[in-house]
Amino acid sequence: MKLTRRQFLASIGNACLVYAIKFSPGSGQRSIIQEPVPFDDEYTCMAFDWSIDYREWIVFDQSGNVSIFTNRMELGQGLTTVLTALVTQALDIPREKLTVVLGDTDLCPDDGSTQGSSSTRNVGWSFWLACHEIRNNLIQQAADSLQVSQEQLEFLRGGVRLKKKPGRIIKPSELGGGKAVRMTIDPMAASDNGQEYEDLGIDNVNAVEIVTGRLKYVGDLKLPGMLYADWHTPPYHHPWQTNLLSSDLIEARAVAGVEAVMEVDERPGRRIVAFAKRYHNVTKALHKVKSKWSVPERPKELRVEEEIRARAEFVKILEKKGNVDAGLAASYKTVTETYLTQNTTLAQMETDTAVAKVENGGAKITVWVGDAWPHEARRRAAELLKVPETYVHVIGMPTGGGFGHKIAAPVTREAPVLSQIIGAPVKLLYSRRNQFKLRSRYKMACLLDLTTGVATDGKMLARKIDTYQDAGSGTLHTYAIPHVLTKLYSASWPYQLATSRGTSYVQNCFAIESHIDMVAKAAGFDPFTFRRINVDLTAFVQLIDACAAMIGYDNYRPGPDEGIGLAICFHGGSQLGVVAAEVAVNRTSGKVKVKRICAAFDIGTVINHRTATACLRGGIIWGIGYALFEKIKIDGHSAYTEYLLDYRIPQFSDVPPIDIEFHDNCNPGAPRGCGELPIVPTIGAIANAIHQAIGVRLYSTPFTPESIRKALGGS
Amino acid sequence: MAEESLREIIDSGMSICYEVMGFRQRSIFKLFQGFPVLSEKYFTLDVNGRQRRVKVEPEEPLLWILRDDLNLTGTKFGCGFGECGACSVLIDGVARRSCQVQTQYVSSGQKIVTIEGLGTADNLSPVQKAFVDFTAFQCGFCTPGMIINATALLSINPNPTKEEIIAAMDFNLCRCGSYLNIIEAIASLANTEE
Repeated sequence: MKLTRRQFLASIGNACLVYAIKFSPGSGQRSIIQEPVPFDDEYTCMAFDWSIDYREWIVFDQSGNVSIFTNRMELGQGLTTVLTALVTQALDIPREKLTVVLGDTDLCPDDGSTQGSSSTRNVGWSFWLACHEIRNNLIQQAADSLQVSQEQLEFLRGGVRLKKKPGRIIKPSELGGGKAVRMTIDPMAASDNGQEYEDLGIDNVNAVEIVTGRLKYVGDLKLPGMLYADWHTPPYHHPWQTNLLSSDLIEARAVAGVEAVMEVDERPGRRIVAFAKRYHNVTKALHKVKSKWSVPERPKELRVEEEIRARAEFVKILEKKGNVDAGLAASYKTVTETYLTQNTTLAQMETDTAVAKVENGGAKITVWVGDAWPHEARRRAAELLKVPETYVHVIGMPTGGGFGHKIAAPVTREAPVLSQIIGAPVKLLYSRRNQFKLRSRYKMACLLDLTTGVATDGKMLARKIDTYQDAGSGTLHTYAIPHVLTKLYSASWPYQLATSRGTSYVQNCFAIESHIDMVAKAAGFDPFTFRRINVDLTAFVQLIDACAAMIGYDNYRPGPDEGIGLAICFHGGSQLGVVAAEVAVNRTSGKVKVKRICAAFDIGTVINHRTATACLRGGIIWGIGYALFEKIKIDGHSAYTEYLLDYRIPQFSDVPPIDIEFHDNCNPGAPRGCGELPIVPTIGAIANAIHQAIGVRLYSTPFTPESIRKALGGS
Repeated sequence: MAEESLREIIDSGMSICYEVMGFRQRSIFKLFQGFPVLSEKYFTLDVNGRQRRVKVEPEEPLLWILRDDLNLTGTKFGCGFGECGACSVLIDGVARRSCQVQTQYVSSGQKIVTIEGLGTADNLSPVQKAFVDFTAFQCGFCTPGMIINATALLSINPNPTKEEIIAAMDFNLCRCGSYLNIIEAIASLANTEE
């Protein structure tokens, strides 16, 4: 749907009924403000000022159609399917009666970024609860207007009917036509609707469009007079390490079909861009660009561990309990280790792309983009273009994979700037090389120093962690340890760091879970048993048991150089994950083959098992990539990974059978999200399996054949 | 492998296995920098059963003709180097990476089939139907290429084993990690043939 808000309101008619939902987790508040405001365009703007609290809309039109609006985006995680499943079931309407409008800044309120596995848990579930409040509200309104008791009415097929007059269903628009109603929902407080969600296993709602090639991503848009554009790739990390000194664009401009090749002042830094009607000619012109860039002042060499230590600054204490030194002193055994991860990148299939059109002398700017947070993209574009936000209209499109990379991504503001410069609609399409080198945001290398003390009964007494990175996520809630000290240090880098799927949970969990196995070994315990003894939540024990049963741990007879490893993770959204991996290692080549993965997740109500399973399997496959292959080739001056084949991501032949079980014991009821969770424990599970298989502990990702041969040679 | 024959393979747009990737990058660069400046010419292409006449530079990859001139945008740009497979199309029944096929090397007699030519919403091809049934995608960006490659595989080998499916599909990349679902979708078609 591509309409302005005014057009949209006109199209559904002024007799429609609008609910605006305020989402307030943890407030204990749930209410419908029973002072409906008259529905007209001007007033609606005030009532639904999306800069404040009302974050989702549900609109009932006169034909019984329902539209829902949110700024959260479909990134492949299945949000559209989840929202469709929840709202159609809650309102008892068929799928064709529902329109899901995502990420259009003129239509949708701003409810934050699509990240942190939070959209199903927050937005999806608030729609579900809101729909049930609306049902009650409509029955109440119908009772008032028909002068009957509420017991004589029931909610059915998106409307209300008198039980004794089953033929006629009163549509919501008839009851509250021309009104707008505000409501507040607390998803944490609400579980008393008596409405159990049932997964009917609907198809991914975009399925047919996807398999027929008709789903339009932003790169598929074509505007009259549109030019392709792309950036010249600087040789060094741009703009942190280099400036453009001079350029010779004569040859580039001579390429047939090229409209313009120019230097532009654009944040970040001065850059060179080529425009042409055909992308082919943009590419050719960029190959002919000659340019000089300042050589970075910092050393080219990037010794990850040394640099992290040298640049580390203490940030804060993440957790402090008891007296860690006394706890360690009282321990039967202590283990001290250091773990390291490498810089990785995201390598989503759709490179950064945006289409922009500037009209009315800059007073009307439209940007089409696949991005996780269109409203933030709009704010930043307006800021950069120095225009009021209302001049900018960002239209969110389906995204060809984001994974944390496309959150108000630079492309969303570069495209309108370029369109303004060249005076034509522009499709800015990053080449794969630019995606690797210019969009230099990498998942950071992390370093962890860990010391853990354990008693003779296998109970951990004390743990000290120094973690060097940006966030320190994932160190909490997994194990019950009386004496804990976790300190966070930052490390500055010569390039920009990324938000990426799993954030620093990934690195921390690899280190902690590898370390736990070594502590278990020192104390003389089996790693499965050791975790059962030490976990903080009993729900973890159920998941560990489930994984042990699935993978057949208790009767496991490994072949030569085979082993099983386990890792657990607690993710911020109260999501629990346990992964068991079986590997076979070839001692001669050093190659690791992941033979099987069994995983159990405690993630609350699963809205759609099909999309959730796809997402969880995909996450586990990401974990395999981080464990075995992924490392961007980078130094202090530049990344020199330029091709997908240079940056090994998991392929068909890398993927083992993956069994997944869903549990709901920890905090039953609401869905809790699962996008990031599956990656996190997978790496530790593989590391621990390798350790069990060949007796070698790997202290740094990725576990490449070279690193394993080296570790074997050294042991 | 000699660089000569490698160049032939690259020119022909066929996928290349890992063993030669070291050569491959250099070769691609040479090709790019060695392009002569050619003027636009008319070409007639047989796409999805229709004769389409386009005026383009002879060395322009077929991918962009499909996407920009014929508006067949189901064929995706993922890398431009034949590495990911998102741009796969059938040329005379063989899956080829259209970013590596220069338009001048497609003869008017060759039949090109894109994802749009396999089936429609009301009449999905068996592979498309299986991809829906097995949720064999997440973001969907690599899916057209996956379906084209699976279609080519099943036309040569209607009953592939799991190992054969993996071998045939291995160089099509899916970052969301829908590999298992894709294998299941293709395997479901193999079973019905038995």
